[in-house]
Amino acid sequence: MKNIQIFDPALCCSSGVCGVDVDQALVSLAADLDWAKQQGLVVERFNLAQQPMDFAQNATVRGFLERSGAEALPLVLVDGEVALAGRYPNRAELTRWAGLAAATPALAEVAPAGGCCAGGRCG
Amino acid sequence: MLRRRPLRLSAQIHALIVMNPMKFLQQPPRFLFFTGKGGVGKTSIACATAIELATRGQRVLLVSTDPASNVGQVFGIPIGNHITPVAAVPGLSALEIDPQAAAQAYRDRIVGPVRGLLPIDVVRGIEEQLSGACTTEIAAFDEFTGLLTDTTLTQAYQHIIFDTAPTGHTIRMLQLPGAWSGFLEEGKGDASCLGPLAGLEKQRAQYKAAVDALADPQRTRLVLVARAQTSTLVEAGRTHTELAAIGLSQQYLVINGVFPAAATAADTLAAAIVEREQAALLAMPVALTRLPTDRIALKPFNLVGLDALRHLLGDSAPVEAGGLPSEAALAAPSLAALVDEIALDGHGLLMLMGKGGVGKTTLAAAVAVELARRGLPVHLTTSDPAAHLAQTLDGTLEHLTVSRIDPQEVTAQYRAQVLATKGSKLDAAGRAVLEEDLRSPCTEEIAVFQAFSRVIREAGKKFVVMDTAPTGHTLLLLDATGAYHRDIVRQMGSTGVHFTTPMMQLQDPKQTKVLVVTLAETTPVLEAANLQDDLRRAGIEPWAWIVNNSVAATSVTSPLLRQRAHNELREIDAVAKHHARRYAVVPLLEDEPVGLDRLEQLAMNGVTV
Repeated sequence: MKNIQIFDPALCCSSGVCGVDVDQALVSLAADLDWAKQQGLVVERFNLAQQPMDFAQNATVRGFLERSGAEALPLVLVDGEVALAGRYPNRAELTRWAGLAAATPALAEVAPAGGCCAGGRCG
Repeated sequence: MLRRRPLRLSAQIHALIVMNPMKFLQQPPRFLFFTGKGGVGKTSIACATAIELATRGQRVLLVSTDPASNVGQVFGIPIGNHITPVAAVPGLSALEIDPQAAAQAYRDRIVGPVRGLLPIDVVRGIEEQLSGACTTEIAAFDEFTGLLTDTTLTQAYQHIIFDTAPTGHTIRMLQLPGAWSGFLEEGKGDASCLGPLAGLEKQRAQYKAAVDALADPQRTRLVLVARAQTSTLVEAGRTHTELAAIGLSQQYLVINGVFPAAATAADTLAAAIVEREQAALLAMPVALTRLPTDRIALKPFNLVGLDALRHLLGDSAPVEAGGLPSEAALAAPSLAALVDEIALDGHGLLMLMGKGGVGKTTLAAAVAVELARRGLPVHLTTSDPAAHLAQTLDGTLEHLTVSRIDPQEVTAQYRAQVLATKGSKLDAAGRAVLEEDLRSPCTEEIAVFQAFSRVIREAGKKFVVMDTAPTGHTLLLLDATGAYHRDIVRQMGSTGVHFTTPMMQLQDPKQTKVLVVTLAETTPVLEAANLQDDLRRAGIEPWAWIVNNSVAATSVTSPLLRQRAHNELREIDAVAKHHARRYAVVPLLEDEPVGLDRLEQLAMNGVTV
């Protein structure tokens, strides 16, 4: 089983409702990950605001942050190697990485991720 | 014969009442929570309750989270973040929890280990994420859970009294079953809006036990504290409904500081206050009228020290405050003087900020009227749900336009719109999580601020006066993530017009002036100072402070009011010397300041400076 890890920017709520404009990418990602789970896929998510240690301890992620800053997140690693950066994966990509059979059409419309809890008080 | 008996009986009844005067003190359960808006007197009542129960021979633990807590002062001993026996009151121990310190400790736990490992600006961004009200709320609740569930810590006490209570939002977050299983069992995953909980080490079982203890009427009583003022009663009504829905069914109401009708001493302002308070009580939310209710009369003494607190819950007759100097109205800068300086700019954004109930809407209207009177174009925009004050102004004065944003309406629209668009492709479970998330306090602030941001753009040509504003924390996050900037770019469309972001506009004192509104009382001044700190973090320096509803700025004869005026002086002095770059003091009026003439009275405090 492939190990898929998503390193989120500093989010308050990973569903994305706290932002000034609810981020469709995050809402869709939540649905896609739910779907992936039902396919038996394991996707780990790390939130910069809550689990910064996981960012610091991973040389690949730390290097990415030093080079490109937190605004370049999210970062997706598959088996420890960079698979995607700057946006969230869609269903097709999740399927390809996991080596599953061709997926149902992707739901997620892909867009750059904004800070979810941009709206504030949840922080 | 018949005439004598009632006399004796009434003496007995009187003795009973003196021993056990308050309904909320009868057969108290193990946990007592006092909740209400800042400044209603929760901490004083909690202290007095603790003293009363200890005097009855019970072993009592008093827990204070009031940032202005003077519990240590009251008992003459340092208390702090550990259980300390109070020697002056046998049976009583006390504990102070500082929610800010708890939140800081929580931040340190998360951020400390990565300092030096991650880039500095990344670390700073994480800290800002964790600086919101939710983190503070959750960190404080985390401290509570031990007291609610850890029997070795608390078994020595028959009663544990808290001068605060968790909000419905906190409890809902703690109850969210999906969030629990997703987050705490796996330690990762898709917990929605459970962010602030992630670094807390307590076990799921302990949170569940704490919530169970709260919802158990045999163990927990919630005492809503309000004043005889509409804003605090409305807040109490909201808290009542919200916490009752979550299962905190045993609730009591205490109306604190009611002006005794017999003590007006022919003072017209005192008589007006009594009348206003009675009207507010008659109009209180219906749900509250069904609760067992106590009224505590306004006391002529300062609620500091053991003796004073022992008398708070008694029904002692008001004493003549003869020792007070007879004070003339305070000589302090008037609102009109502030407006003179504002008017020099010719245009700009004016934001009146402060806690609910301090009179932001009224003062926004007063400032707008003053500016319009000087012949300057003004747009007054308000989010006050009862904005009839502002509405009555519309069209009555040349140069003045008035608009209104209903926070409930725009929030409901915003929620519906998010569910219809972003939630349209989710399944039922996904929609349920999204709906729960949309109940967070962020949502209303965002919805209202979006509505206001449309009006803000007018401030380049005229004066725009707003009675609400986002917190500094919100602005920082909006700016840090660039989400707000993107939003503005989207709104401006591809017009190719050069623009500055609202954040830049808000930070520039030439374009934006923030007026912090407060009352001349300890807690409101402290809350305003916290608000100012929050704004300063966002690079916004408040331009002036306004102390509203001041009795010290009037001439009064009633001893009760003279005492209040006297108490205000220390607070006004603190505002003038420590907090504000400029300030004004606005007098308490006999009549509600509705209409042009009365609004103008607000700007004059009867004194020429």
